[in-house]
Amino acid sequence: MRGKVKGLSLRTLQFLLKCLMCSVFVGPFYIAIVYSLKSQEETIATGIAWPHRIHWENFTEAIRVSNFWNATRNSVIVTTFSVFVLMLSCAMASYIIARRERQYKIYQWLYYTFLAALLLPFQVVMLPMYVNLKTLGLLNTRLGLIVAISAFQVAYNIFVYIGFIRTIPVDMEEAAYIDGAGKMRTFWQIVFPMMKPILSSTLILNALTVWNDFQISLIISQRAAVRTIPLTQFYFFGQYTSRVNLAFAAFVLAMLPIIVLYLLLQKYIIGGVMAGAIKG
Amino acid sequence: MLPFSKSNSNTSRFKGHLTDLVFLFPVLLLFTAIVVVPFINGIHISLTDWDGYAPEYQYVGLRNFLRVLRDPRIAGPVRNSLLYAVLTVVFDNILGLLVALALHRNTRSNRFFRVLVFMPFIISLVLTGFMWSHIYSDVFYKLMGIKSLLGNVRTVIPGIAIMSMWRDTGYASLIYLAGLNNISPEYYEAARVDGAGPMNSFFRITLPLLAPAITINVTLFLGWGLKVFDYVMAATGGGPGRSSETVAIYVYNYAFPYNQAGYGQAAAILMMAGIFIITAAVTAVLRRREVAE
Repeated sequence: MRGKVKGLSLRTLQFLLKCLMCSVFVGPFYIAIVYSLKSQEETIATGIAWPHRIHWENFTEAIRVSNFWNATRNSVIVTTFSVFVLMLSCAMASYIIARRERQYKIYQWLYYTFLAALLLPFQVVMLPMYVNLKTLGLLNTRLGLIVAISAFQVAYNIFVYIGFIRTIPVDMEEAAYIDGAGKMRTFWQIVFPMMKPILSSTLILNALTVWNDFQISLIISQRAAVRTIPLTQFYFFGQYTSRVNLAFAAFVLAMLPIIVLYLLLQKYIIGGVMAGAIKG
Repeated sequence: MLPFSKSNSNTSRFKGHLTDLVFLFPVLLLFTAIVVVPFINGIHISLTDWDGYAPEYQYVGLRNFLRVLRDPRIAGPVRNSLLYAVLTVVFDNILGLLVALALHRNTRSNRFFRVLVFMPFIISLVLTGFMWSHIYSDVFYKLMGIKSLLGNVRTVIPGIAIMSMWRDTGYASLIYLAGLNNISPEYYEAARVDGAGPMNSFFRITLPLLAPAITINVTLFLGWGLKVFDYVMAATGGGPGRSSETVAIYVYNYAFPYNQAGYGQAAAILMMAGIFIITAAVTAVLRRREVAE
């Protein structure tokens, strides 16, 4: 009887401690929401207490002033196309490298090049890339953003996909060859479907990385028309640091779609990260 | 082994290579155009005194590199980047491991907590930087009377490190969770039979078997830490003054606002070399410990 009570109170304590721990992680979100719903004066007066009256106009003003819908449209376009291009091209390339690397040295070299590129800091290609894109007329364009941001995710994706393809036995491809299928057909009809688990986890990570990109976008998108959400936020805060409630309204606006998606897909996202860890 | 290569005729082998090239083409195009070509151009630029705009420039050989190494104002950024990297690597891993241990059992409440713990990671770094700079200056000050960590030259880097710990601990904990799940419970059973206490099993079983996960996390955070740009840019812009400038921001400033492309590029190349060396050294040490255990 005593053991049972002791067990229960120990577990309650653990539960409370975990709640405390999580409040650290969730706290800033709560603060952001609370601040975004208050008026300027109320924010200064009452700190992080729940607002008396909810000031939805903070949001409408933040949207208007920061050109939010335009930024959202840019982010959506850039993210969708980047992820699409990135994942298709990397899946195809990884297939060949993974299957041919034992035959030809050059494919091993390719693999190691991509591996080395993982360590490359953006700064070392930042300026030359800017100059190149300028000459090609791709600066301040969504196409330029798509190309540049995808290119920087290539190394990571290839690394992960090759690791995965190496674990797929060749039997089915051999059977397809005997049946007369060419490489293209074999890849698209057999191998690609088998890559679904790794594709779904990297899909989400890639989308997240592209959506949140700042460094590359900062260099490429200088005109307001092509700014993505992170850039819009950055410039917005340069101007509106004193109006805290507007600033936080803008935070919440930017965070909301991602958080909603995250809560809907969290099983896959968390599973994907953990699965990637084992392969690594 | 790939079946396609079984045919021996030269034409079919050539065709085989051609198809390979088609598969590889998109990636090679992207990667070469955006990473390889600029990298090579960068080497060329670093050997000149180009400002980034003017059509003329002169070759100055390795002078840019020597200037970077002798610039007294690079000491600050280097120290900042190193300090930040060390803080984040150490604490992200310790906190990540603690969180993973706490949330290891696959109960519904633990799964719920995992979702909360990882949530910070999905927000952009810029947003994290801004949010926390306001939290430091408004919330902390009002609640606890602590002046913003970002305003004081000595606490600014730790202040930024804390915000990145908030975000990255969740990620680290997921990696450790995966690692913990891979440890067969039989080890713990055997240890308990032998009379080992929880401390003992932790240090003799858990830690050694987590070595690969530790390597991944340390290498990853080390790379991120040494390259840090977004957080600092968003939270302090390098300030107060230039005290929180990191190497990445130093390079950016010379390449763009200050219009010294050649110099900035040389700094970037040195930064890359530094990162390679440090990461390689740390990984080598960790790999050796992995094998030894």
